[in-house]
Amino acid sequence: MEVAKLGKLMMLEWKKLKQKMVIGELIIYWGILMFLPIFFIKMISTDFGESYSTIIQLMLSIQMGFVLFGASLINQVVIDEYKNKTISLSFGYPISRKKLVTAKVLFISLFVFGCTIVSFFLTGITTYLLDQIFHIIDGQPTIADLTTYFSKMIGHSFMITLISLIPLYFFGVWKRATIPAVLCALFLMQFQNFYYLLNIDLNLDMVNVGLCLLGAASVYLSIKLVDKVGDL
Amino acid sequence: MEYIVRTNGLTKKVKDKVLVSNVNLHIKKGEIYGFLGQNGAGKTTIMKMLTGLISPTAGEIALFNQKLTETSKSSLKRVGSIIEYPIFFEHLTAMENLHLHCEYLGYYDQKAIKQALDMVHLTGVEGKIVKEFSLGMKQRLGIVRAIITKPELIILDEPTNGLDPIGIKDMRDLIRMLNSEYGITFLLSSHILGEIEQVADRIGVIKDGKLVNEVTLADISKQRTEYIEIVTKDVQKSVFVLDSELQISNVKIIKDNRIRIYDLTLPQSEISKTLFLHDIEIEEIQKHISTLEDYFYQQIHGGGKVG
Repeated sequence: MEVAKLGKLMMLEWKKLKQKMVIGELIIYWGILMFLPIFFIKMISTDFGESYSTIIQLMLSIQMGFVLFGASLINQVVIDEYKNKTISLSFGYPISRKKLVTAKVLFISLFVFGCTIVSFFLTGITTYLLDQIFHIIDGQPTIADLTTYFSKMIGHSFMITLISLIPLYFFGVWKRATIPAVLCALFLMQFQNFYYLLNIDLNLDMVNVGLCLLGAASVYLSIKLVDKVGDL
Repeated sequence: MEYIVRTNGLTKKVKDKVLVSNVNLHIKKGEIYGFLGQNGAGKTTIMKMLTGLISPTAGEIALFNQKLTETSKSSLKRVGSIIEYPIFFEHLTAMENLHLHCEYLGYYDQKAIKQALDMVHLTGVEGKIVKEFSLGMKQRLGIVRAIITKPELIILDEPTNGLDPIGIKDMRDLIRMLNSEYGITFLLSSHILGEIEQVADRIGVIKDGKLVNEVTLADISKQRTEYIEIVTKDVQKSVFVLDSELQISNVKIIKDNRIRIYDLTLPQSEISKTLFLHDIEIEEIQKHISTLEDYFYQQIHGGGKVG
């Protein structure tokens, strides 16, 4: 029953969005990420084309672009609603604020997660097909490569979803500031590259776990804050 | 007496600033209750708490004898409202906004939307995006949204804001019609006292976040007094002449050049003739009846203008 109610509230979040704009944005993300691996091999370094296992690592990391898409959704679903005061419409309904904000967070999360999964498929298929036509990557994908790709696809999409929610609390619900939220997402998106460029030796998995925990904390604090302050 | 809105010790503080303090509000079923108060007095904050937009710091709200809390908001299904100004998803059409509202409330009567649009003469624009609406049209669309689900209580914060004179009259007529024909209770706020005076049965005066008084307009009418107001430069001499020659002592000096005479046993012509014969120059002499404005002024400032 509660799940159905949340599902309905999430559907209403979609109805409130500027859908054409979101879909347009999404197509641009998918379009860019689809061709990015081949672009890297051709234009930046042929090393990425050494084998499918190498290109898979690249394909996993470029999907971090969806952290930025998450910030765009936070802007439309949360910040814009506060700025345009439409949030007060929702708070006036006989639904608890906690449930309303939970529906918003779930909507953003599922949207980012779903779109990242689709992007993984599109990038994988496009890269494979272009390789079959233009022979860009050495060798063919092995069963082990495919297993790695699809198993990491789920974990990475989940991780990207949580990281994309980091700006939600401070820049979304609290400060209600669009540009800082986007800048924060850009920083998070490039986080791995920064310490690679700065030659800082950090455990990548631990960093990602830390960021995921930050995302989870951001969600928890956002729900608490909205519940407490309401329309103020 | 059945109260459909009751508050007990309603208080709202934000960062040590008290916005609303210990308000005990009583709104009876079927009445039109007007909120009067200066800007920043706390009217909107009280309305926001009554509609669940913000939670009180202390005190209780009961709507339809059900306690309103953040976890128990079901009574809001029976309430329609416009707080501050009508807010819409501007990129959506009027119809999409109304559908969205109905879906949030779990109300699926298609005819009700059309009926409500007809009621406020807003047909033919359902497919237009709200961004293209004038403020007056948005105000009317806000009313449509507030009445669509046939609520028992409608809370309107400054409902005539942005409306032209015809729109204001239409709104007043609509409120009266919904109240008399459908028995809908209204809580209205307005900074235009005349507006409240024309529709409200009872008023609540808010000052510095406190409910100073709740009184029916009928009771205010009973308290209304007639007086003659004289504008003259020679106030002291006038008072002396009125007392010595006409035995009128129930007078009050208002400012430096105004006198109010509350003893109306003598006609206005007799008073002006007597003052004239004593070489007192009268700039203006007129009979008045104290208004709701006088009452409000007295409640807020505790004197000065006397009713």
